[in-house]
Amino acid sequence: MLETFNFRVILEYMPLYFKCFSATLWLSGAGLIGALLVGTVACAMRLSQSRIVSLIAGVYIESIRSTPLLAQIYFFYFGLPSLGIMFSEEVTGIFALTLNSGAYMAEIIRAGIQSIPHGQIEAGIASGLSYFQRMRYIILPQALGVTILPLLGQGIVLVKDSSLLSLISIMELTRAGQILTSERFMPAEGFLTTAAFYLIIYYILKGFSSWVQKRLIFREAY
Amino acid sequence: MITFSNVNKWFGDLHVLRDINLSVGAGEVMVVCGPSGSGKSTLIRCINRLEQIEEGDLIVDGMNVHDRKVNMTQLRAEIGFIFQQFNLYPHMTALENVILAPTKVRKMKKDEADKLGRETLKRVGLGDKVDSYPAQLSGGQQQRVAIARGLCMRPKIMLFDEPTSALDPEMINEVLEVMVNLAKEGMTMIVVTHEMGFAREVAERILFMDEGQIVEIAPPEEFFTKPKSERTKLFLSKILTH
Ligand SMILES: Nc1ncnc2c1ncn2[C@@H]1O[C@H](COP(=O)(O)OP(=O)(O)OP(=O)(O)O)[C@@H](O)[C@H]1O
Ligand SMILES: [Mg+2]
Repeated sequence: MLETFNFRVILEYMPLYFKCFSATLWLSGAGLIGALLVGTVACAMRLSQSRIVSLIAGVYIESIRSTPLLAQIYFFYFGLPSLGIMFSEEVTGIFALTLNSGAYMAEIIRAGIQSIPHGQIEAGIASGLSYFQRMRYIILPQALGVTILPLLGQGIVLVKDSSLLSLISIMELTRAGQILTSERFMPAEGFLTTAAFYLIIYYILKGFSSWVQKRLIFREAY
Repeated sequence: MITFSNVNKWFGDLHVLRDINLSVGAGEVMVVCGPSGSGKSTLIRCINRLEQIEEGDLIVDGMNVHDRKVNMTQLRAEIGFIFQQFNLYPHMTALENVILAPTKVRKMKKDEADKLGRETLKRVGLGDKVDSYPAQLSGGQQQRVAIARGLCMRPKIMLFDEPTSALDPEMINEVLEVMVNLAKEGMTMIVVTHEMGFAREVAERILFMDEGQIVEIAPPEEFFTKPKSERTKLFLSKILTH
């Protein structure tokens, strides 16, 4: 079986894979940063005193979490232009990943914030700290500790989800596999190579995650 | 220093504070006791607006607490509040806990706050624990850090909500000792507690609450020997037997 596995073709397509690998990296990287920002803002809105602000964030989070990512990508790619809003494929892709992952991150951050015992917040209020001071000095430093691992987990999901962008003809890793497959009829070679590159990203993120975890455990040992 | 006039408060249908009229003078130490659920915590939590009142006036240090125009930060900076569960910030050392509000609310310089923090921790007997995290301290030590955290704001009033109820018996005295010293230094204090030894030693008056009402206020001598109300007698017979 293995003698039919064609390494030469894989080598031949390496330049394409590297190009697509870096595309996946930057698309997911941009999506990740965007998702962290959107997630933080959505979470702050969700926890807002104002009913309306909280409701808006709630609708956003719920509607993203209850619909498939592919449907969302198609909506942004086909739906928005039909409403007269045009973006390039890449921008559409990043936009979809950002909004999708942002909703999940908002919930992760919210769980982290709500894990801080209310008594500490009252102690902050009682000593005259403002809302932002309580966030900055009491809540966020502790919430970061409990959210960083789930956030990295969500980051890994985001990288894998970025493969769906191949369906709106963005040149990224999965698309590279499709190209090799359709040009040379070698799906095994094509998609195994694709998978290998995802594995590299996964191990980088996972390594970072366990590094963070070690540091956190060290800190908790006080 | 603190004046309640016809204060009423509800939690939904529950009438937790009923027509409270009360005046606590500067330097006075008042002990509040009463059965569980009688509204003791709520009473003192209104003073720094951890709870809102629905009716009446509450004047603290010349400021109307429930007036929207009052600067709450300024008011709260003048009032230390000690919780049953200490509520220290677990990610900060004892010193960082006590200087957070002085540097952020009072805008004190870092080195000045540092010096004040160390002095105050020493004052509560924790001079050697400045760099310890809360998890490394016993309950009694944590509560003393919490008291130091209140004192570092140089408050005019200190409120205590059952400061020793969460402590193991052998740690109660170290905390009470700090509070007795504070009382003797002339701090205005309202203390919710069932530690009647403490009440006898430093309280000017003892307030007994039941079902949201002030049933009786009297100096300790009178409170223990000739309580006027039947409810007070019943309550005293329960807590003084153990
Ligand atoms: N946030 C709240 N919402 C609704 N009800 C509340 C709230 N806080 C307190 N209560 C109720 O108000 C009543 C008075 O509560 P409070 O905590 O003031 O009593 P307490 O005298 O301090 O009791 P304990 O000795 O148990 O601490 C209780 O019946 C309590 O269940
Ligand atoms: Mg209480």
